[in-house]
Amino acid sequence: MGVVEYQRISDVVWELAPHGAMTVPGRIFASETLMDLVRLEHAAEQVANVAQLPGIRKASFAMPDIHWGYGFPIGGVAATEVDAGGVVSPGGVGFDICCGVRLLASNFTEADFNTHREVVMRNLDQSIPRGLGKGAIAPGDLVPEVLARGAAAVLDAGYGWEEDLERCEEHGTSAGADPGAISDHAIARGRGQLGSLGAGNHFLEVQVVDEVLEPSAAEVFGLAEGMLVVMLHCGSRGLGHQTCTDQLRAMGPAMSRYGITLPDRQLACVPVRSPEGDEYLRAMAASANFAWANRHVLAHAARLAFAEAFGISSEETGMRLVYDVAHNLAKIETHDIDGRPSALCVHRKGATRAFGPGHPDLPEDLRPTGQPVLVPGSMGTGSWVLRGVLDNPAFFSAAHGAGRVMSRKQAKQREPGRLVRDQLEAVGISVRPGSIGLLSEEAPYAYKDVDEVADVCARGHLAAKVARLRPVGVVKG
Amino acid sequence: MTCSRRDDGETCLVTRINVMPYRVLSHTADTGIEATGDSLASLIEELATGMFGLVATIEPMAAERWTKFSVESPSLEDLVVDTLSELVYLSETEDLVFCAFSVDLSPGALAVTMEAGGVPVAAVEPSGPPIKAVTYHRLVVEEREDGWYGRVYFDV
Repeated sequence: MGVVEYQRISDVVWELAPHGAMTVPGRIFASETLMDLVRLEHAAEQVANVAQLPGIRKASFAMPDIHWGYGFPIGGVAATEVDAGGVVSPGGVGFDICCGVRLLASNFTEADFNTHREVVMRNLDQSIPRGLGKGAIAPGDLVPEVLARGAAAVLDAGYGWEEDLERCEEHGTSAGADPGAISDHAIARGRGQLGSLGAGNHFLEVQVVDEVLEPSAAEVFGLAEGMLVVMLHCGSRGLGHQTCTDQLRAMGPAMSRYGITLPDRQLACVPVRSPEGDEYLRAMAASANFAWANRHVLAHAARLAFAEAFGISSEETGMRLVYDVAHNLAKIETHDIDGRPSALCVHRKGATRAFGPGHPDLPEDLRPTGQPVLVPGSMGTGSWVLRGVLDNPAFFSAAHGAGRVMSRKQAKQREPGRLVRDQLEAVGISVRPGSIGLLSEEAPYAYKDVDEVADVCARGHLAAKVARLRPVGVVKG
Repeated sequence: MTCSRRDDGETCLVTRINVMPYRVLSHTADTGIEATGDSLASLIEELATGMFGLVATIEPMAAERWTKFSVESPSLEDLVVDTLSELVYLSETEDLVFCAFSVDLSPGALAVTMEAGGVPVAAVEPSGPPIKAVTYHRLVVEEREDGWYGRVYFDV
């Protein structure tokens, strides 16, 4: 199945008509430039594979940051109709269940940061566990409570602020979570990792609001031009990875019982309305709770790092939560299909939920603007804050990042980590890597142009641009 | 060929030198390996070596701590994924990077008993990000005319 079969059907939408076992079209949001990059790998073929999932509706979508994944493409969105045999697929969520992005505002400017830069970066370097091996901020005995209650559990244990929960997707607690669906193996992995960043593309960045494109929305979000902000990207760590592993193992035999065959076993799935589907969603929600809590604890540590550096209280830092949003989840949502409201299991694998203005699941103060959509770029370029729009054609979904364009091996061969660090430092970006040798795997040249991704989001009515952020400090796993 | 011996002197771990035992496969976001073996047991050992070779470069002789586990699975493919997944779990919970492996296959059954030796994470310089999980994507485990072949992709 070749990518050449995708036809451009509008400014930034490319479509593959259903054929073979596909029951819906494949639809990729991309500019000509981004589509050229898609053609270099297997992601477009994966979009077509997802279009074969039982009960899939409308289309198998791919966001502008699409790239080759395992089973689902990264950037894939698939919604299946729950009451029409629709399936849930752990591969449509990924191993890092509820991986996501959290953005904190602040009372600081770039000039403030520059006067305390070394101490802030040192504090962050020392207080954010990351990389290979154990290391966590919060004690492992909180894990059972975290699985049930998410961010609320660590809030009660003294991490973060009460008002944070209002600005978290799902208020930081996923409904339907069942700690009993999490294996001992998964709990053992999670015990030493509550409040840890991980490695790979996970990061904590200090950024500056470089440009505001929609001042009214930025004001509602609590952002202003020149403001220093902190963005962090991580997920459910080993607990989520193990949960996905456990669930995939169980789904292999279950698929044959339901008569489901698919071209890639990593797409393993079962009907949402089945004992196995129900168990997966309960386990996924509990793992998501670990992820909400993990980001909550890390954000707390970041506040303390700034407060200590500036000699003020964490409240005086003004590091309010702008929003925390997941980009690896499956959710039961109601969307119109053929003019009737239908319960759909919406998989977003490397895609951000992007509810438009007025959506009842948004906190009241965000309803006039729509949901903040956080799109991190590479550590040397920029990141974007977008907002959800009403006419989103992809089940209210948008991009989740810049999207890789180069393998880790290629990236590492191109330049050594020390050179990448020196280049970033030379343009005013302080870098504290977990491993200098691995830094070049995440070099800016390994990623697509995040500005173009944001541009396609806007042109494709996936989300509207609110503000562009520029990095000034990077803490990498 | 070289041979390293455990402290108890009972198990001989063989690893090939001057011959790449596995090959790293390119993937945009993640990474994979392919390997061959004279037997299914040696294939699993090579795949395990390759998996941790993505994380850090360690000589088998360096193994300081050992662990033993058993896995039983419904198919050959599952046996490989389950064995490697158990190693990922043990690596993370025991804070080890494994570098030496010895596999026993139960005759007539899809079951593996593995002894794995490793070094503490703190003692190694990473050569790649930790393995999050073992995937089924493009998974191949098969016996060919000239031996066993396996291909596995990892989420990193």
